[in-house]
Amino acid sequence: MATIKIDPMTRIEGHLAIEATVEEGVVTDAKSSGTMFRGFENILKGRSPLDAPHLTQRICGVCPISHGMASCLNLESAYNTSPPANGRILRNLVLGANFIMSHILHFYHLAALDYVNTDGVLGGAIDKGPWQPHYVAPDMVTDPATVALLVGHYVQALEIRRKAHQMGAIFGGKLPCAPTFVPGGCTAVPTAENTAAFRGLLAEQQNFIDNTYIPDVLTVAGAFPAYFGIGSGCGNLLAYGVFDLDNSDQNKLLYRGRYTNGIVAGVDPTQINEDLKYSKYDDAGSGLNPADGVTEPEVGKTGAYSWLKSPRYQGIVHEAGPLARMAVNYLSGDATAIGLIESVLGTNPDISVLFSVLGRHAARALEAKLVADAMDGWLDELDLGQSSYEKVSIPRGVRTGIGLTEAPRGALGHWITATSRGKIDRYQVITPTNWNASPKDDLDQHGPIEQALIGTPVADMDNPIEVLRVVHSFDPCLACSVHMLRPGKEKAEAVVYTRPSI
Amino acid sequence: MDISRRDFLKAYAAIAGALTLKASGLMRMQKALAASGEATGVPVIWLQGQSCTGCSVSLLNTIHYMTIDNLLVNELELLYHPTVMAAAGDLAVGAAKGAAAGYVLVIEGAIPVGAQGHYCHVWEDENGDPVTMETAFDAFWRNASCVLAVGTCASYGGIPSGKPNPTTALSVNGALNYFGVCQKDYPVVINVPGCPSHPDWIVGTVASLLAGTVPELDGDGRPIEFFGSEVHHNCPNRGQGDKAKVLGEPGCLAGLGCNGQQTHADCPVRQWNAGAVGGYGVNWCIGGGNPCQGCTEPGFPDAMSPFYALK
Repeated sequence: MATIKIDPMTRIEGHLAIEATVEEGVVTDAKSSGTMFRGFENILKGRSPLDAPHLTQRICGVCPISHGMASCLNLESAYNTSPPANGRILRNLVLGANFIMSHILHFYHLAALDYVNTDGVLGGAIDKGPWQPHYVAPDMVTDPATVALLVGHYVQALEIRRKAHQMGAIFGGKLPCAPTFVPGGCTAVPTAENTAAFRGLLAEQQNFIDNTYIPDVLTVAGAFPAYFGIGSGCGNLLAYGVFDLDNSDQNKLLYRGRYTNGIVAGVDPTQINEDLKYSKYDDAGSGLNPADGVTEPEVGKTGAYSWLKSPRYQGIVHEAGPLARMAVNYLSGDATAIGLIESVLGTNPDISVLFSVLGRHAARALEAKLVADAMDGWLDELDLGQSSYEKVSIPRGVRTGIGLTEAPRGALGHWITATSRGKIDRYQVITPTNWNASPKDDLDQHGPIEQALIGTPVADMDNPIEVLRVVHSFDPCLACSVHMLRPGKEKAEAVVYTRPSI
Repeated sequence: MDISRRDFLKAYAAIAGALTLKASGLMRMQKALAASGEATGVPVIWLQGQSCTGCSVSLLNTIHYMTIDNLLVNELELLYHPTVMAAAGDLAVGAAKGAAAGYVLVIEGAIPVGAQGHYCHVWEDENGDPVTMETAFDAFWRNASCVLAVGTCASYGGIPSGKPNPTTALSVNGALNYFGVCQKDYPVVINVPGCPSHPDWIVGTVASLLAGTVPELDGDGRPIEFFGSEVHHNCPNRGQGDKAKVLGEPGCLAGLGCNGQQTHADCPVRQWNAGAVGGYGVNWCIGGGNPCQGCTEPGFPDAMSPFYALK
């Protein structure tokens, strides 16, 4: 038995630590931990709730818009109000722009370098930092024509993702971090001119997704078929749903639902609990719903190896992300999701292959298309020249709220309790990476990334590329460092201090 | 990759001015350039402390001066950057530790010194012990030709240092003072604030460093070129009829909580998310109908909070 350690894990947002124990070339145990803590929930306490959509966007610079959306929904829930149609649609359009940006960034700039050996490409122009040094594995793509194609698309994707942000800024004000997101709607106003500009940029995104992004994912899939069988994970999926099509909270482009032990079911947020047995918090707060959640750090807690709490649904481990969303839509009979998934897997496919490293990449790419195509229709629904904001009157008394949405990388929830004097008393956030990178829970069940790593073959302990591929497929979003203990290197106790990116 | 370095520097001549890099820093940078070879670019080590990576993502949007591929391929050698580098683990850390003196050190995010720095670990040492951001910063600033504090967290502490500052989060200058660095050893520090920082502010500042000069800085350590005037001074809403009474209405947002009168940045002119080389942005906070939140100021967020004055 040997343990290997990679620290830091790169090409993710944030600081994560993963340790993997390897026996006879296969991972037999894994620990996922985060290594950065800011105390956002404590910083929010006592402030005006209206500051929350802007402050929480700074939890994550890759998916700020999702936090803005969750926070607006949270406050609208607390104040019992909802945005006008224009506001709902503009927020969806900005969030959609950020989804596309994030998915393209993830595949080309965070994940692709795990699969392609870039040595010597472009006449050696990128044989330097940040592309060198890199891990080497015998299965990496080295065919010059394919490498040149994919590296060319890596460069092109830099431009496309920039333009996705440009598109989002039209109604978001700017990106990253959109100032126009407020409870009550959106402060931007759609006009014939800015709507046309948005549509022009959207067409470019759609073209890239259809003709470059999806084909490139299929090219990588064709070169690495084994990865449809690696990194399957816990097999349970959770999606809060996103892109409201009206204000009912029931009608969404991507559905709210879960897939638990092989059955599709609804989501009741009161069934979410956060375990703390292996988290560096006082055990007294273990098992609580986030609406009642407490965050009492306990640095020296015996046995604890992460500052992530372990969120579970009815005590069961669930994975969040594009795979969860696409699978829930597919299994719920959404014709668009069925069409997209069957375009890749054939008619009546065995969808279990999606529970894999490549399945996650494919779901992400297909979701980018589903969202981009829907955005085009939403532009037609805008009431041009009309306000997108309805003034929110803040009711008296203690208020509680909940805002459930999706970040590009999975289910995102915000919970608030506001005092009778209109200040934040409690603000709790559960990010998707909280679900996916969570440590073991009170029942000793490993988190989704840990489970996906267990069983993963590692051919070369000095180039543990397989571990990177599994972890990257989740698109984790926390200031991270992955720890793998090297053979013979004594395993240090992981001293980590974070909930991811919070 | 369509602009040569010469064009870039020429286009930038307006900014490169005022102060020359301290002789020791300039010498270190020239040595580093010679070591890495002119062809590979100025070596940069980019460390992330308590950051959200938003400034890195914002930098990817650069286009006014040059696009990101041009910057990374032709101008810089980004030896270490957690979000974009191919390497991970020891391989990645080795690239940073092996750098010759003279690199530009970029800090993104605040540097927490509470709990002996353990609120932020950046990697492990050879014994498998975690290395804190505080320790890493203290090791890496010493051989840098200059330190770029990118974003408001690194420049002034930002949101992590917001009340009650649970982790004792410090800015770059705050950490150097905490270390007790004396004046003669003190590095050149340039603050490029913003939450996130604007790509032009970052790339424009880098361009002046490439020319061997430090742009003229204001009292808060920011390049005057970008942060020399108040947002309100250049705001298109200034003096335009009625003040807005409700969000989403046209007119000056001063009555709704706008911080434009005490915030220094060229946002009204430069705007954000430009679409063409040499071009300006498509929108900005006030253009989107929302008050300026004052994100480039040392007091952000506490001095600006609450962001709204809604009745």
